[in-house]
Amino acid sequence: MKKFPFQKSNHSLAPQFDEVIQQLKESKDFTIFMFGIEHDTLCISYFNTLIDTDILHRDLLPYLNKSSSTLEAAVSALPIENLLFTQKPADMQKHLLTGYISITMEGKKDQAVLVKADSQKSRTVSLPEVEFSVIGPKESLVESLDTNLNLIRKRLPIQELKVEELTVGKLSKSRVAVLHIDGICNKKNVSTVIQRISNLDVKQIIDSSYISQMIVDKKNTPFPQFIDTERPDRLAAVLGEGKLVILVDGAPHGLLGPATLVEFFTASEDYFLNWTMASFFRLVRFFAVLFSILITPIYVAILTYHYELLPKNLINTLVISRSGIPFPPILEALVLELVIELLREAGARLPTKVGQTIGIVGGIVIGTASVEAGLTSNVLLIIVALSALASFTTPVYQMGNTIRLIRFPFLLMAYYIGILGVAISFCFMLIHLLRITTLGRPYLEPLYPPKLHSLKDSLIRLPFSLLSKRPAPKQKD
Amino acid sequence: MINKNEQISPFLVFFLVLKVQIGVGVLGFQRLIIKSAGNDAWIAVIAAGLLFSIVIWCMFTLLNSQKQDLMGIHTQLFGKVLGGFLNMIWITYWLLMGIAVYRAYVEVVQAWMFPQINVMTFSIVFALLIYYTVSGGFQVLTGICFLGVIIPSYLILTIFFPLEYTEFRNLLPVWNHSYKEIALATRDMSLSYMGFSTLLMFYPLIKHQKKANKWAQLANILSILSYLLLTIVSIGFYSENQISRYVWATLSFWSIVEVPFIERFEYIGIATWVIFILPNICLFIWAATKGTSVLFKVEPNRISILFLVILIVMSLALKDRETVNTFQDYMSYVGFILYTVYIPILLCLSYIMSKIRKKTHEN
Repeated sequence: MKKFPFQKSNHSLAPQFDEVIQQLKESKDFTIFMFGIEHDTLCISYFNTLIDTDILHRDLLPYLNKSSSTLEAAVSALPIENLLFTQKPADMQKHLLTGYISITMEGKKDQAVLVKADSQKSRTVSLPEVEFSVIGPKESLVESLDTNLNLIRKRLPIQELKVEELTVGKLSKSRVAVLHIDGICNKKNVSTVIQRISNLDVKQIIDSSYISQMIVDKKNTPFPQFIDTERPDRLAAVLGEGKLVILVDGAPHGLLGPATLVEFFTASEDYFLNWTMASFFRLVRFFAVLFSILITPIYVAILTYHYELLPKNLINTLVISRSGIPFPPILEALVLELVIELLREAGARLPTKVGQTIGIVGGIVIGTASVEAGLTSNVLLIIVALSALASFTTPVYQMGNTIRLIRFPFLLMAYYIGILGVAISFCFMLIHLLRITTLGRPYLEPLYPPKLHSLKDSLIRLPFSLLSKRPAPKQKD
Repeated sequence: MINKNEQISPFLVFFLVLKVQIGVGVLGFQRLIIKSAGNDAWIAVIAAGLLFSIVIWCMFTLLNSQKQDLMGIHTQLFGKVLGGFLNMIWITYWLLMGIAVYRAYVEVVQAWMFPQINVMTFSIVFALLIYYTVSGGFQVLTGICFLGVIIPSYLILTIFFPLEYTEFRNLLPVWNHSYKEIALATRDMSLSYMGFSTLLMFYPLIKHQKKANKWAQLANILSILSYLLLTIVSIGFYSENQISRYVWATLSFWSIVEVPFIERFEYIGIATWVIFILPNICLFIWAATKGTSVLFKVEPNRISILFLVILIVMSLALKDRETVNTFQDYMSYVGFILYTVYIPILLCLSYIMSKIRKKTHEN
């Protein structure tokens, strides 16, 4: 409508209000009724599935002035803030579809009042399930954007916390909120993210992961570039570090970025524990990841090419465990790795109670049976199980998936040129990591480019008194 | 002109210089220098290091006064035709250096790990890796140089294993060799220090160029120290006769490393050496690629594909140890002249030219 400011006649718009209502009436859950005693009857319409009928009955109907002659007078006594007066039918349609009640006056159809009455049906805030921690706050995000914003704002009661809202998706019309703290967050990042989100041309945004996949710098990489978290305390903490947060209505996970590789290995628990323990656990995590990626390929490399790498006693154990196994090490390793993936996938698809059975069947029955049948060596079984276990130590779920995926090229290269293949694959991975940027910043920061003051909170976490400088320095833009 | 995001901070020059100075040569530089200078070989190590410290200083004086890379300096001083020819010489040198380093590494792999390795397939995989690095741009290259120093740095700990059997009295008597012998050893040693000529190409990509000299010198000092440490331990660990039979003395150190779960540590060492050697080769290929793409105005990625094909072909053509050795000797000879003769002459010429230009300007 803004395009035609000269189109002044309100009367020409009047039939369009009717048109909108006629269209909406085709849905069964759309309610429209007349309210009033005399000729100036009020026409009330809404989607009864979208609104909270309590609001209608308790706060709206009793306070409507039935005998007034103008719309303003009729609604003047409503105990509801923020009444929207509109003359645009499109506006009315949009609001009706998001849980507003529209009130128009029979005979004066040039104006409508829209009253917000959407029902706030959502899950209550509950315990975090994916990122559970023994100590620390135990709230997790829910599907409602407003509740999530409330959870974050409660932790950051400052005016600098800015929330920008966008609507994405032709069908879903999802509300997407971008949060940042003014003065700490790099403005360029905020505008880049908002630009990228508003440029999205998609039908539906079901979850925040849609957004994170669509707005990353580099799409052809298994490495995630936004941290997906369900902990409002984590979101609030990183906002203070100068990162930005993206929340999507309907998604119980927030995105935070720009995230570097090291941050995918930090858990919120690292900050709840004493720094010595936190550093130790973090190092354990990094070691676990390296172990998880490298151990099966190294096994394959050693058993295919370099027996002599191992001392006599160790090679004895290996040879005994492998004697009578009809497959080459690579096949054995690939099959076992795939079996683990199979178990994981099956476990993820099944309901919790059945999932436990799968764990027992998969882990104990299949494992023991295959070793006894002489199909796999028990050493490899231990190695594969350990590496799967190690991959689950990553605090961010997506990173765990990445780690399980990238070991397959390592395996093939190990089969191809032995331990050199492992080294070459490792180089490929390093260069790949060096080539990734998140919102224009190097992914490997603060390892490369080396940033000494950020290193204090990377592979290890030093005490808070030493962390006084923010890890992400403010950029002059 | 140059995007600020592509520039690197000056202290990363430390890693870039260190990386090319300590390459595949570390694995077996001892034999050559001990052959001519015996127990005084460590003097040659220091002498060669100081010599290259001067060369680095020359390079920075030249680059700081000209404020452009070698390609630009050549064309400015000698015009398009002669300058282009000189550029070609350097480009060829860098490309061949890249190939020499790569082939030397393949030689090590063949001798120590995989006598039957298929050089063709290994080269193709390695060439893909180089392409992936070089096409990522200079930032990625600097990154792999940095990580290429940091990640394999644990190998320095292995020096403690031979220490147990080292007889430091082997160093005595000091200075029982003639100047000529030590000079010869110095020349042989200089091959190990070479490689930082790529500095002439990446100079414009450094942020505060004046500060970079300090870091390059520091890197040189650190390489002197590491070579010195290795030489002294080698002199103490091996007898003079023994080392003349060891082509890769450093690798032989690893043979005595004892870890409960690893019998032959040199395998781990050689595998780690991939990360060590990769930035080295990539820097040479990058410098050659950059030079060519500026010279002929061609897209760099195509050039690097061409160069990598040459790398694969050359590494196949250099079949046995003899040819590889001869090739490396030639390269070190050419390199020695380029560094110690060509660069100082270029510096003088540039100085004189700038004086003349100033005068004509004043007149």
